[in-house]
Amino acid sequence: MSNANSVNPPVEQEPTEFDRKAPISAAQVRVIEDGTTTLPGQERFVASVEDIPMQGIDQVDEAAPASSMWAQAWRRLRRNPLFIVSSILIVIILLMALFPGLFAHQNPTACSLNDSIAGPRAGHPFGFDLQGCDIYARVVYGTRTSVSIGILTTIAVVIVGGLIGAIAGYFGGLVDSLLSRLIDIFYAVPLLLGAIVLLQMFHDDSNIWKIVITLTLFSWVSMARITRSAVLSAKNLEFNTASTALGSSRMRNLFKHVLPNSLAPMIVTATMSLGSYIVAEATLDFLGVGLQGNVVSWGVDISNAQSQLTSAPMILFYPSVALAITVLAFIMLGDCVQDALDPTGELR
Amino acid sequence: MSAKHNDGFDPRRNVTIHKDAVAPDWDADTNDNIPTEDLAPLLEVTDLSVDFTGEKGRAIHAVDKASFTVYPGQWVAIVGESGSGKSTSAMSVLGLLPGTGHVTGGSIKFNEQELVGMGEKDYERLRGRYIGLVPQDPMSNLNPVWRIGTQIEESLKANHMDVAREKRNALSKSLQEADVKVRRTDDELFIGSQDIDDLVRTTQEALASSHIENAQGKMRKLRHEWVVGSETRWAVAQSLIREGLDEETAWKIAKNHVTGSSMKDRVAGLLDEAGLPDAATRARQYPGEFSGGMRQRALIAMGLASRPDLLIADEPTSALDVTVQKKILDHLQEMTDTLGTAVLFITHDLGLAAERAQYIVVMYRGHVVESGPSLEVLQHPQHPYTQRLVKAAPSLASQRMISAYEEGAQDADAGLAHKQKAADAIANGQAVIEVQHLVKKFKLPHQKEMFRAVDDVSFSVKKGMTLAIVGESGSGKSTVANMVLHLLKQDSGKILYNGVDTSTFNSKDLLNFRRHVQPVFQNPYGSLDPMYSIYRSIEEPLRIHKIGTKESRLKRVKELLDMVELPESVMNRHPGELSGGQRQRIAIARAMALDPDVIIADEAVSALDVLVQDEVLRLLNDLQAQRGLSYLFITHDLAVVRQIADEVVVMEHGKMVEHGTTDEIFEHPEKDYTRELLDAIPGGKLSLGVDL
Repeated sequence: MSNANSVNPPVEQEPTEFDRKAPISAAQVRVIEDGTTTLPGQERFVASVEDIPMQGIDQVDEAAPASSMWAQAWRRLRRNPLFIVSSILIVIILLMALFPGLFAHQNPTACSLNDSIAGPRAGHPFGFDLQGCDIYARVVYGTRTSVSIGILTTIAVVIVGGLIGAIAGYFGGLVDSLLSRLIDIFYAVPLLLGAIVLLQMFHDDSNIWKIVITLTLFSWVSMARITRSAVLSAKNLEFNTASTALGSSRMRNLFKHVLPNSLAPMIVTATMSLGSYIVAEATLDFLGVGLQGNVVSWGVDISNAQSQLTSAPMILFYPSVALAITVLAFIMLGDCVQDALDPTGELR
Repeated sequence: MSAKHNDGFDPRRNVTIHKDAVAPDWDADTNDNIPTEDLAPLLEVTDLSVDFTGEKGRAIHAVDKASFTVYPGQWVAIVGESGSGKSTSAMSVLGLLPGTGHVTGGSIKFNEQELVGMGEKDYERLRGRYIGLVPQDPMSNLNPVWRIGTQIEESLKANHMDVAREKRNALSKSLQEADVKVRRTDDELFIGSQDIDDLVRTTQEALASSHIENAQGKMRKLRHEWVVGSETRWAVAQSLIREGLDEETAWKIAKNHVTGSSMKDRVAGLLDEAGLPDAATRARQYPGEFSGGMRQRALIAMGLASRPDLLIADEPTSALDVTVQKKILDHLQEMTDTLGTAVLFITHDLGLAAERAQYIVVMYRGHVVESGPSLEVLQHPQHPYTQRLVKAAPSLASQRMISAYEEGAQDADAGLAHKQKAADAIANGQAVIEVQHLVKKFKLPHQKEMFRAVDDVSFSVKKGMTLAIVGESGSGKSTVANMVLHLLKQDSGKILYNGVDTSTFNSKDLLNFRRHVQPVFQNPYGSLDPMYSIYRSIEEPLRIHKIGTKESRLKRVKELLDMVELPESVMNRHPGELSGGQRQRIAIARAMALDPDVIIADEAVSALDVLVQDEVLRLLNDLQAQRGLSYLFITHDLAVVRQIADEVVVMEHGKMVEHGTTDEIFEHPEKDYTRELLDAIPGGKLSLGVDL
């Protein structure tokens, strides 16, 4: 086109194999649009009833097994090989934490300087540390400290964070604004920094609760946020209105309908963060603000072993590996739970 | 120059017009003279089978040996219940099967070209340019972060199809049997916004100099027709000739002043064609600023942007109000008639199929059970499934359902008896729920004035009777229901329950009120807690009101399940395992658990398939006859109202438009709005299943 004004010159469309091959006449078009003539291939067709048996309208398939959301999640979980690996590991770890005597026959605190940095020998497979304590026994007994701090912190975080998040999300308005600002404030404080400052004050205490409380104080916020958003979406679902119209109270709705429907993301977050609490505890020990002195803990052992890193690296190696395996097991479990509870990946 | 357009170039490259073949009088009887044997279908699907791979690699047959044909310019409907494979069949034409779906057999021929087994690259060339799609859900099919205009532009660019419209006119011209010869490229030029003023001025001068009568009126008409970015040079010339200008002048004007449009003009033109007024502004808006109907129009504009030969519309208007649906479909029909586009539309609405389609395909569990000319199939259904479907489809011709419990010797007698009883009750009956001058105002964002969602509504529900509130979305009908249920507080007005003002209730009274007035909500997927087993769901009201012991509650749940015709075994199941209709039954059982006096059903059957809807309505009706329940029935579906209601309140924009008995409203509607609603019901005037 020679026309200068044309903003978009027409594009020649190359004919393709999809273009109409046989010509169509005006008369034919009229016949089609008219609709009264049956065209070839559009004759009346009725399938025989025998071929396609009729079923009752909207019948319940009683053959299929009944299953709840939890049952379905459990079925998916069971099939996941990662779940089997992680749960075997976790069972062993839990046994170690509950009954360390089953695994190690030495006393972890009975140390003799004669054995300082001694190599492995019969009955002492991992050898001895600087103080002459049996490393194997210390690794086994250290499980209890790490795991109990991890589990206790998780429980505390779920209760505190879950409750605050649920209240903020469910009641909304001013309550939500206030609680959300509180969440924001805590969110602004880095976990480690906050923990170091706070734990300085309880320097000599060797009680695991100080760690649990500190970790909870600085990590409930993420749980609160997740619960809040889950509650926000669950509270607007119609079954709450239905339940209110049946005569249910607001609080009853929160605990009977909204919270159970918000549990899945909470559970996933809880299992995923359990490992990180164990790491945080070990880090605090390592930094010298966590558990001190005669408490058997991986973090303390790692901290003590760092001075012999060049001469006897294995002293540091064993507790570190134990820590890594434990954390890995819990994070893998969290992953599996997430896949099982949320097969479509919506929570992510 | 002016001679050039007559130089014998025929734009209808592949269209030959057999003028002689046209019989002089154009009646259906003479159609036999027209050779249809050599007419090749546009789309020919033969023995199509589609499988989905389920758990553990098990094949699920979604479509089994389905065959149907679409001719150019024809409307073809596929009907069936959810899960019948109707969408799957249509989507396999586009090569857009979701998830694990794959074609396992049969052939799909488009213009004699086999599509099965074609590569993704070929499909990309096919989609848009040859086959357009109008998807089902207008809410999720537009990208919320892009302007509407950008999204339409994208659909043009994707097909390298800025302006081509040649195919459109090939058919439309053969329709008009016009004998105009134009240069082909001329036909792809649209009026541009830069030219329109000149075009109008020149035309005015030309009209004046040719001494044409009523030039002003004609000019106004032309100005209205000439939509920037939508009208072509050819169309402009034609309209000028029509208005009395000689051919040479007309073409001169058209050639000088229709010189092509920018993409922006084109997008606005497309939106205008789809019936969105003020298209240029609309194009700059985001999907969030559009209502459902407007989004659907935008999607239609996108589907038709590249002038496809075939448009696949998957429930294009199911989510919309009937009046909006009618407008959109009328417009779509107008557009496809001028464009010569064939439409393959999927619907569950038999009336719609009967009204719009020339050919219908009925699918059931993946099979085509019946197909043929749509009216013939729907008026004389032969396959038992089609018969069942037609029987269950509510229409304006249907009558008030009469429960088997009050049926006398004959249906007709029972109908009359019920009518008599209803008339008595409406005239003298005792009101269970009485609503007086109800008003509810909401605060809208960015607006000073309060929005009156419900504006002075009064009615009363008589004991044992059904009152239906009908209206389109936004009419305030659900707000009324929520206020009656005491879930929302009214701003003014009174709601009386058995003569007592509900606003004076203390918490004990309210609990008692809740016990006697029960809701059934619209969404069967949302109104049951997915964590609760069916047993716990039905038992919940008993627990809340602390009724009975564990054993007696179990007995009651069993009774209730029996009442709604579900097996006891569903007790241990969870809502996720049941279909929509089954869940709605559970919701009804839950509502019935406390032996209420009044049930407030908010769109209780709207989300259900025709057959299931029919069953649930029957159940509700039987329960009413057995237990003397009163219903407040909120719905947008007038056909359902006809079947179940004794009294009707029509609402529009929060106001009560009309109030009367069902027969009065349906037979002698007084207000225009009511008439409009009745007219908009698809296939309302057609009587289906005449020999059932």
